[in-house]
Amino acid sequence: MQESELMVRRIKEGTVLDHIDEGKGLQVLNALRIDGKDGSLITIALNVPSGKFKKKDIIKVENKFLKDDDTNKLAVIAPKATINIIKDYKLVEKRRVSLPNEIDRIFRCSNPDCITNSTEHIESVMDVIDKEGRVLKCRYCARVLDVNKLKYN
Amino acid sequence: MNEFYQKDIISIKDFDKAQLEQIFVSTEKIMKLNPIERREICKGNTLGYLFYEPSTRTRLSFDAAMASVGGNSLGISNISTSSTQKGESLADTVKIMSIYSDVLVLRHPLDGSSRFASEVSSKPVINAGSGTEEHPTQAIQDLFTIRKEKKKIDGLKIGIIGDLKYGRTVYSLLYGLGNYDVDVHLISPESLRIRSDSVYEIKKKLSFTESINIEEYIDELDVLYVTRIQKERFPDEEEYLKVKGSYVVGLDLLQKMKDDSIILHPLPRLDEISTDVDHTKHAKYFEQAEYGKYTRAALLGLILNENGF
Ligand SMILES: Nc1ncnc2c1ncn2[C@@H]1O[C@H](COP(=O)(O)OP(=O)(O)OP(=O)(O)O)[C@@H](O)[C@H]1O
Ligand SMILES: [Mg+2]
Ligand SMILES: [Zn+2]
Repeated sequence: MQESELMVRRIKEGTVLDHIDEGKGLQVLNALRIDGKDGSLITIALNVPSGKFKKKDIIKVENKFLKDDDTNKLAVIAPKATINIIKDYKLVEKRRVSLPNEIDRIFRCSNPDCITNSTEHIESVMDVIDKEGRVLKCRYCARVLDVNKLKYN
Repeated sequence: MNEFYQKDIISIKDFDKAQLEQIFVSTEKIMKLNPIERREICKGNTLGYLFYEPSTRTRLSFDAAMASVGGNSLGISNISTSSTQKGESLADTVKIMSIYSDVLVLRHPLDGSSRFASEVSSKPVINAGSGTEEHPTQAIQDLFTIRKEKKKIDGLKIGIIGDLKYGRTVYSLLYGLGNYDVDVHLISPESLRIRSDSVYEIKKKLSFTESINIEEYIDELDVLYVTRIQKERFPDEEEYLKVKGSYVVGLDLLQKMKDDSIILHPLPRLDEISTDVDHTKHAKYFEQAEYGKYTRAALLGLILNENGF
């Protein structure tokens, strides 16, 4: 690790979300509901130079370890992200995100006339029809969904 | 065992060419049977319908179809979905109806409602029109009519005219035609063109052109499928009247068409086909309605009989 990258104090236990696609950092915070209300240390860095011409966003959160749903959201919003798990100041695990075949519950179908947006007791189910292109499709209304417009449940 | 036994009929997209052919063959068979033989097919079975949108035609067609194969129907045909009317959930209504019947027929305004209903129902569900795009039994009826009247579907030039934006029969038909090698010409006023978000998916299976002028391809068409243009879709009356006039199929237009071309319409018709066309050999919309009864009867027969009929 280069010292120049470690702009703020280290975290003891927690997660570093690295290589978030430039400009997606705030959206990731919102999707993962990281708001600092529980008092834990959060560091956000936007537009960090990465590689020759590129930039990335980084989020470091103390005392948070991602659940499957969070990982899936991250994979949709920031497909290049890396999840680094920190235990006792040390990096103990590094994972790339990847999309599952199916994403349940976490996103809301963007078709207002979809049965999943009605008062019925029903949870959204989306099939990932193209992992590379991050194309999702609502299993109920069959609408192909724009990942950038998805809202979270 | 026949593959449609106890199957839900949710989307025309779920059918491939071979499955469609199987339904067509069964339909031909039903048409050849005498009424007494026919009534044995679904004898003692009950069809339960739930219509959350007005549609006398489709409901009657299912009723008639079930009666022709010896079954009976019951249901509710004017369920209100307005939020002011505090009602039972769709899930509960479907569960109750699946206790009373052997097969359910659902019409509902929301997209995906039939798929949801099929998940909560203990009996097979037939989608009789849901949301903006799905009306699989109408598409089966339309495809059967073309096949029956033209003796084939592959190789035909098919024009579809009218309200292509809001007409769910059009989408279902296009998805169904995607199984065949056909040339499709879509003809509509600019404001009622097919929705761009659906074009993406249809284009993967079907080649089509779009135009606003009915005359452009009229002399090449084997089939002209006419749909209704609804007044409610226009911002003002003047615009509506202007458009309406230019999409009326009358005897003068027929003159320009191929001698063996046919005219279809899902009905009900307003004045988009003038009544003097009815007497010509091109008019096949009443046959189409009749075939609708038999394609539905065939579907019911396949769904309710393990070994077909
Ligand atoms: N204790 C810690 N507190 C805060 N951030 C940490 C801690 N340990 C590591 N990091 C951060 O975690 C990320 C991954 O660390 P690592 O040492 O694997 O860097 P790297 O070799 O650049 O990784 P990569 O190949 O994924 O870019 C870096 O952004 C680093 O600054
Ligand atoms: Mg690095
Ligand atoms: Zn949907």
